[in-house]
Amino acid sequence: MKQWLLRLEPIIWLLFGQGILLGTLLLTGWILVVGLAIPLGLVPAEALSYERAHALASSLVGKLVLLALCALPLWKGAHHIRSLAIDFGGAERDTAVAGCLYLIAIVGSLLAIAAVVRL
Amino acid sequence: MGRPAHPDAMKSSRPSPTRMAPPQMPSEYPMGGRYRAYTLFDATGFVYLLVGLLGVRVVWALGDGPVAWAQLQSELQNPLYVGFHLLALLSVLFVGVRFFRLFPKAQPPRIGPAKPPPQPVILGGLYAAWLGVTLLMAAILSGGLL
Repeated sequence: MKQWLLRLEPIIWLLFGQGILLGTLLLTGWILVVGLAIPLGLVPAEALSYERAHALASSLVGKLVLLALCALPLWKGAHHIRSLAIDFGGAERDTAVAGCLYLIAIVGSLLAIAAVVRL
Repeated sequence: MGRPAHPDAMKSSRPSPTRMAPPQMPSEYPMGGRYRAYTLFDATGFVYLLVGLLGVRVVWALGDGPVAWAQLQSELQNPLYVGFHLLALLSVLFVGVRFFRLFPKAQPPRIGPAKPPPQPVILGGLYAAWLGVTLLMAAILSGGLL
């Protein structure tokens, strides 16, 4: 398992880095509107009515943006929690902790792919 | 320098011929002085992980049809979700400011034959991209564009 993690490190770091960069670029506007402005009534809910939201999301660009917005933060999260776990608990359990966290990121990414494909 | 560090935190997989002093955990770690920002930066990982999973749920509900979409929009009005999204916004802003400040300093002196632009140019480009993407996303999602 540890050897696998070492071999996959370049891919994990790529996804982690893009999770910080692209994740941050995309999440700010998303959280502002979808998470705050519409629920608080600052923007009318019709802005993301089902028909409009579906039309935006089902385009190729919409699908790619949504995929990046859902999947990349998972890798940023998994890798930083792993780093925190090493700092606080040492490297003894790192293989198991990293395995669990990256498994969550892999399953979440696969679900994100499935979610955008079925739109 | 205060209490001993975790003995295995930075342990090498192979014995080193170099003699080293026993590791010591800095007394300010984890939430004092400049370690606070470092620890908080890592801790935003929890928020990002949850935001990603919540994003999957949002897209999944959109694929399930109008009823599931309406139900999800109603759920997002719950104060717990609003509070979480407020925390997520603060986390994203914190990560962006910290990472974009670090990014220009982490560039290699040369990338092949080319030299990277000066650090202020990279930093300005990152902030311009962040502002531009955020305004574009906000305008599209709130119905002001498209």
